Amino acid sequence: MPTITIDGKELTVEKGKTIIQAADEAGIDIPRYCYHPGLSIVGQCRICLVEVEKMPKLQVACYTPVMDGMVVHTQSERARKGRKDVLEFLLVNHPIDCPVCDQAGECFLQDYYMKFGLYDSKMLEDKNKKSKAVPIGKHIVLDSERCILCTRCIRFCDEVSKTNELGIFHRGDHAELLPYPGKTVDNPYSVNVVDICPVGALTEKDFRFRTRVWYLDETNSVCTGCSTGCNIEVHTNKKREYKNEGRRVTRLKPRFNKDVNEYWICDEGRYSFTYVDAADRLGVVMKRVKGELQESTWAEVMPEVLTALQSAKENNKRIAVLGSPKMTNEDLFALKKFASQTLGVSQMPVTVLPKEKPFSDDFLIREDKNPNTKGAGYLGYDTDHKATRKLLDDCASGGVELLIIFHHDLEAGFETELVKSALSGAKTVVFVGSNANTTSARATYILPSCTYVEKEGTFTNFAGRVQKINRAIEPLGDSLPEWTIIRNLSRKIGKALAYFEAEDVFKDLTKNTAAFSGMSYSAIGDGGLVAEENGKLKQGDAKAAAQKTETATA
Amino acid sequence: MSFELTKESKLVIDELLTRYPNKRAAALPVLHVVQKQHGYIPAEAEPLVAEILEVPPVKIREVLMFYTLFLQKEIGKNHLQVCRSVSCWLRGADRIIKQINEKLGIHDGETTSDKQFTLTEVECLGDCEHAPMMQLNDDYIGDLTAEKVDEIIGKKGQ
Repeated sequence: MPTITIDGKELTVEKGKTIIQAADEAGIDIPRYCYHPGLSIVGQCRICLVEVEKMPKLQVACYTPVMDGMVVHTQSERARKGRKDVLEFLLVNHPIDCPVCDQAGECFLQDYYMKFGLYDSKMLEDKNKKSKAVPIGKHIVLDSERCILCTRCIRFCDEVSKTNELGIFHRGDHAELLPYPGKTVDNPYSVNVVDICPVGALTEKDFRFRTRVWYLDETNSVCTGCSTGCNIEVHTNKKREYKNEGRRVTRLKPRFNKDVNEYWICDEGRYSFTYVDAADRLGVVMKRVKGELQESTWAEVMPEVLTALQSAKENNKRIAVLGSPKMTNEDLFALKKFASQTLGVSQMPVTVLPKEKPFSDDFLIREDKNPNTKGAGYLGYDTDHKATRKLLDDCASGGVELLIIFHHDLEAGFETELVKSALSGAKTVVFVGSNANTTSARATYILPSCTYVEKEGTFTNFAGRVQKINRAIEPLGDSLPEWTIIRNLSRKIGKALAYFEAEDVFKDLTKNTAAFSGMSYSAIGDGGLVAEENGKLKQGDAKAAAQKTETATA
Repeated sequence: MSFELTKESKLVIDELLTRYPNKRAAALPVLHVVQKQHGYIPAEAEPLVAEILEVPPVKIREVLMFYTLFLQKEIGKNHLQVCRSVSCWLRGADRIIKQINEKLGIHDGETTSDKQFTLTEVECLGDCEHAPMMQLNDDYIGDLTAEKVDEIIGKKGQ
């Protein structure tokens, strides 16, 4: 392997890598616009110029392969001057409209100008006028004047989404990024082009002018839009809440994980957070009084639920539970333990398949729109849709006294008639969930639970990778994590579960479930760990988890 | 409007494709074949060429919009491309252009109503020793004078 020196640091680099890749591995920062580790290399923008000893001209770090004995200077006078000149060219036609540009604050033109530029414009000519604020897709707005023609978005559409919508037409300073005539950028992964745009040329309709980015807080999490479990950052705006228009989550951004989603996320997942503050969100405990659901409190409802459970037990009547693959491993484990120890329920279904087959592809979008079906399987739940139908049939025929349902909108997967007779067949229906639906509307009690951005826990994705979610915002109203609701019930009936934090549940879970054995929150880290049926961790996984993750926007 | 390649064009393209290590490398000569057949390259031809070269249509459009020699709309039978770069300009290119403007009533990029002439002002064509010069369709005509321009227009305009 070639040994090279960058800024006096000796590095051994894999053959075939380029200077910028070697520098990235060594933590040496070389500026870039067009280079992106998830895309092909084109050497378009020239901002990554470095000085290489014995080479007469400055070289582009992104495109120059390493050679044994190479000595590279990224901070020499010549290299800095070269970058300054490139920057000056890139800004010749740039409108410098930073005060009204949505990219301001996360714009590499701004950043590098402050780092290398700081010159006065020498141009006497007027700047070119090009199209501004043009919607080029359902979610994306294009400002051609701000574009520096780095082609990252074009390469994304060619290489990752493979949809080929974008191109650069005309030449010289008339060159302009545009969609092919008659096409819009509406592929299932379209908004990634906004993430990788290093300047303010491509901005996101939903986010535009919502807030300045420097007011945002970032929390690492996992997308719950499907069973892929793409790694994400949840961006929240607590510093300027009045800008949020009632929304506590401002946006989701993909977070790099080479084993799951690389740098990307699908549009469906990106906008999957809206239920967190939707109008149907449940924030209050409710109970049915004279046929009507009324607001109540935990203090009032918990004893009533306990009494109902107690009386069903004492009279040897059947209690049934329908779990949900939207619950975390912790929620599901606590429920399983409580149900089997105290309620005498050993078989619990979790799956309600939608009537129509949802969209999926061979990249990130999976048919199973739940984040934790795999985890439910590992924890001993019955993930067969038929098991849920059997449960509803039992309820409809009057065989169930008390039914606890988590999250599900049963009508999404079963005929309305069956759902109606099942829910009226049981004497008491307890609904635990975060959002109202046709099922909660027929419940006796509604216990509000947190959404994934309001709690801690883990999900197991389709491939068995256990990944951590973290609390980004406070729970809405009275809502509590599902495991807390179950823990609170267990304190009054049967054997109390001694959990104080989600991590306590996880510790108990790893001791009692083979697939998760040996895991801990710190070992899962930001990258996740793969669970195996036989209980052994895959080699090298812990190392991968320990590796520093980087964000897709970097 | 639909566009189709003639049998002759197809044969030429098939031969062109054998000259390159991959199909997309033949983009420029193939586009010239299309332009030769049709006079210009209509938008409808883009997907067709793209299919032959096994690339997305957007890649073809990028190429043909980059090069000014590829035309995207119909022009006159005679394409007068008058050089306006330094050498020609010093030797009176502006007078030649003005003469055409007045004689034919067309300016840069315009076509006469009888579709006989199109005028395009172009940058250096590399024939400075014969400045001022123009390219008439595929031929260079140098050492232009007012009489020579009149002659060209008179002869071609019939």
